[in-house]
Amino acid sequence: MYLDIRGLAARYHELQVLDGIDLSISRGEIVSLIGPSGSGKSTLLRAVTGLLPPERGTVSIGGEEIDYKDRRSLRAARSRLAIVFQQYNLFGNMTVLQNAVVAPVKIRGRSRAEVEAEARDLLARVGLGDKLDAYPDQLSGGQQQRVAIVRALCLKPEILLLDEVTSALDPERVSEVLDTIRLLAAEHITMLIVSHEMSFVRDVSHRVAFMAEGRVLEIGPPEQIFDAPQVQRTRDFIDKISRK
Amino acid sequence: MHYVLQYGQVTPFLSYFLGGALISLVLSGLAFCGGMFFGLVGALCRLHGGPVLSGLVRAYVVFFTNTPQLVQIYVIFYGLPDLGILFSPFAAVLLGMTLNAAAYLTEILRAGVTSVHRQELEAGETMGMNHLQLLRFIILPHIFRVLLPPLSSQYIMMVLGSSMAAVFGVEELTGRAFNVNSTTFRSIEVFTLVAGLYVLVTLGATILLALVARYGFRARVKVL
Repeated sequence: MYLDIRGLAARYHELQVLDGIDLSISRGEIVSLIGPSGSGKSTLLRAVTGLLPPERGTVSIGGEEIDYKDRRSLRAARSRLAIVFQQYNLFGNMTVLQNAVVAPVKIRGRSRAEVEAEARDLLARVGLGDKLDAYPDQLSGGQQQRVAIVRALCLKPEILLLDEVTSALDPERVSEVLDTIRLLAAEHITMLIVSHEMSFVRDVSHRVAFMAEGRVLEIGPPEQIFDAPQVQRTRDFIDKISRK
Repeated sequence: MHYVLQYGQVTPFLSYFLGGALISLVLSGLAFCGGMFFGLVGALCRLHGGPVLSGLVRAYVVFFTNTPQLVQIYVIFYGLPDLGILFSPFAAVLLGMTLNAAAYLTEILRAGVTSVHRQELEAGETMGMNHLQLLRFIILPHIFRVLLPPLSSQYIMMVLGSSMAAVFGVEELTGRAFNVNSTTFRSIEVFTLVAGLYVLVTLGATILLALVARYGFRARVKVL
């Protein structure tokens, strides 16, 4: 397995948010996490990236276990991952192009000309070729989120983590971001996606994991999870969202 | 009383005054840079230094912001030699101004650091930035953008405050005005000309600071 999560647990102060997560993802696979609010989906992504260091359990990428207490190990792991946040988290003092190239050039030491060419190409592909010199606060939410996705891709991650990337958007902006992710899916990038957009999840995912109370209760192909869930909690959740 | 203004008697000293203005600018510029460095360290200690370090920095700020700067420089220039520590007039004034600026800038920068969006820091962290890189690429540009008005005010206060260096014999702009006044006795002409030069110097200093913010730290600020 490429991304291998075993018995992962994490807490915010007294609150146990992750309580023994087991999840494995193959190279090129797209796995989506669904479940009620507070089930730990976003926290799982934060724990994997080390923003919330796990209290127990292991995470391995390509067979290499991440030691979250060791800065070098964490930095090495982060060089293989990229995360796109719900609130975009773009750097407000940088233009669109600077946002995309700062980390590959200044942190990873890649050639500016090469990274800029890639960034321009990616931005053009997501319809932002004319916004290179704009600042984040001059863009709509959907445009900012597409910049955030391009910024993550410029890092050339082996695994892309997407944390509810459409939740903060107006309904008419959702489709432009989802279309961008569909483009990535077609390129076989390994992705772990947290989303409330069920039709999108069904459409792009190879497997879907249902989470509740900090655990993965069921995982399987989208047809199983949405049409024939094996676990009662999954069935209740799917029934509930189908009625909406 | 009939007084005839005779600027012709002081204009030959213009280049002498400009040399003094340059010394004022260098003195305040160096003190501001030093104050920014120690102020940033102080701000980070206040925010993340734990109770002891934070308390020490707080005591430093209270002391230096509640005593006259002139008295502080007196202690350095006239007091420390009794302990065997001697400074030239320029060094004593520079040290005094730096320590004083650091206290004020600690509080200004603390407000700036706390206003940095946590999400931006998290994004930088997950992209592999270390603490210094977060400071360089996210925190400082943000601080310069948000805090340029108070930083400019602080810098102007320092340029103007550098005139007290004349008391210790530093021949900056005011010091040179004293010299010219004592030979020409044209006080109105000398000091109004010098006042005009101070306006030019502070305007220049403000533009310089905005340029540093914009091109040195990529802060989104207007230069003029």
